[in-house]
Amino acid sequence: MTGLVQSATPDKIAEIVALVGGFSGNISYIAGGTDLVIALERGPRPDLIIDISRMQALNFIDADIDAVHIGAATPLSTLAEHGELAAKLPVLTQAAVQVGSVQIRNRATIGGNIASAVPGGDLLPVLKCLDCRIEVLRRDKTTITQAFDEVVTGLGKTSLGNGDLITRITIPLRFGANRISAFGKIGRRRELAIARLNLALLADYESSANHINDIRIVAGAIGPVPLRLPSVERQLRGRVVDQALADDFLQALTAAVDAAIPGRISQAYKRHAVMGLGLDLLHRLFAREFTWPGWAKS
Amino acid sequence: MEGFSSVNVGLNFFKSRICCVSKMEQYDAHVTARRLELPVPGVPSGITLQVNGEECQHTAPATETLTQFLRNRLGLTGLKTGCGEGECGACTVLINDQPVNSCLVLAFQVEGRRITTIEGLENADGTLSALQQAFIDYGAVQCGYCIPGMVIASEGLLRRNSTPDDTEIRRALAGNICRCTGFLNIIKAVKSVASAGAQAVPE
Repeated sequence: MTGLVQSATPDKIAEIVALVGGFSGNISYIAGGTDLVIALERGPRPDLIIDISRMQALNFIDADIDAVHIGAATPLSTLAEHGELAAKLPVLTQAAVQVGSVQIRNRATIGGNIASAVPGGDLLPVLKCLDCRIEVLRRDKTTITQAFDEVVTGLGKTSLGNGDLITRITIPLRFGANRISAFGKIGRRRELAIARLNLALLADYESSANHINDIRIVAGAIGPVPLRLPSVERQLRGRVVDQALADDFLQALTAAVDAAIPGRISQAYKRHAVMGLGLDLLHRLFAREFTWPGWAKS
Repeated sequence: MEGFSSVNVGLNFFKSRICCVSKMEQYDAHVTARRLELPVPGVPSGITLQVNGEECQHTAPATETLTQFLRNRLGLTGLKTGCGEGECGACTVLINDQPVNSCLVLAFQVEGRRITTIEGLENADGTLSALQQAFIDYGAVQCGYCIPGMVIASEGLLRRNSTPDDTEIRRALAGNICRCTGFLNIIKAVKSVASAGAQAVPE
């Protein structure tokens, strides 16, 4: 088209449906704008920008017994400050707290994190680890619910078509009272740093037996999309938590990084850094000290 | 010769400015007209918002950022353009009391919202707010470029939490980068206002 951009600020989902159904050009949705506004400066512009940042219907956190439902336009600051979410899914709270700065968290949203699909997106490995379901309102007015991998398909790539809108993220609450989870991140400074490496972990942990029944581990920023690490999970599943487990866990993490980014310049430090991150996560999950593999406890 | 070339440079700069302005006006007119074709009712032809306590209304192209809108259309040049990517915080303003990077917000998104910029902090009698005065008293300002963003981010923190500790202040200002002060006096200045009951004496 001509490069002139239209804007719209609908209040209701029905207004979006009416708007996109009759529009023939390229459509962008904007909420926090933390990726889109920069892209507008640099790249091709859409024909229509629809603001969803004020839509109450897309801004909520609802927890029921077996799942947490989060509106796509819920800001990360809301996620970070939600007490019930912190109790049920600390992995998500820990990731949201560490994204960007106060200014960024007040604007950036969970749906935007998915739609932008940037490799350093901190929520992405968490959402994959938690096996979230993503509800998409399609331009043809149908609604589909997809798995994380069906939506986030590559570096900055999603399966979302023109005018498709992420409306809701549903996270199943697995493992009942045995559920433990944690997130860790390495950036160049503590705040406002793009992740160089991040890890999300969800486990079914029998605390009375100190035993891991099941576990899911996903790493971010070591590939175009978050990477599940089955070889690392195998080292932990069905085992008692002790230093021997920690040793095997950290060595498996290094092996997984070596396999994910062979020959990359960052491999040299990430294969070591991931062990530190692994130690942090063990400490966070089990509230006790572990040491580097081969180091005797003092 | 040297003088001649600098005149040329000046002229070219001037021409490019004129060009920019006329393009901008065309753009505005088109956007406003084309909006009427949208099949949705209630699409704004202009932006009505509250800035520093006053209602105002303006039209802007859909892709204009809040930074550009506040500086160029409303003349609020206290907030600064730094990185333009949400890294430096120099453009920080409050939207409904929440600090945000105005460079990452499109102007049309703030329809009906309450914006606070550095110009809106001073007291009704024109004196500086306690927070602004503290930045001066504690020598928290050097070149000053980052300071409006620092003050606004601090104001946002203090409106939520009137007694933040050092860690909370540091976290609240993590999105504001200063290249000259080393941050310590900035943190002291904010702390002095935060704990105004047991106020420390500026060095």
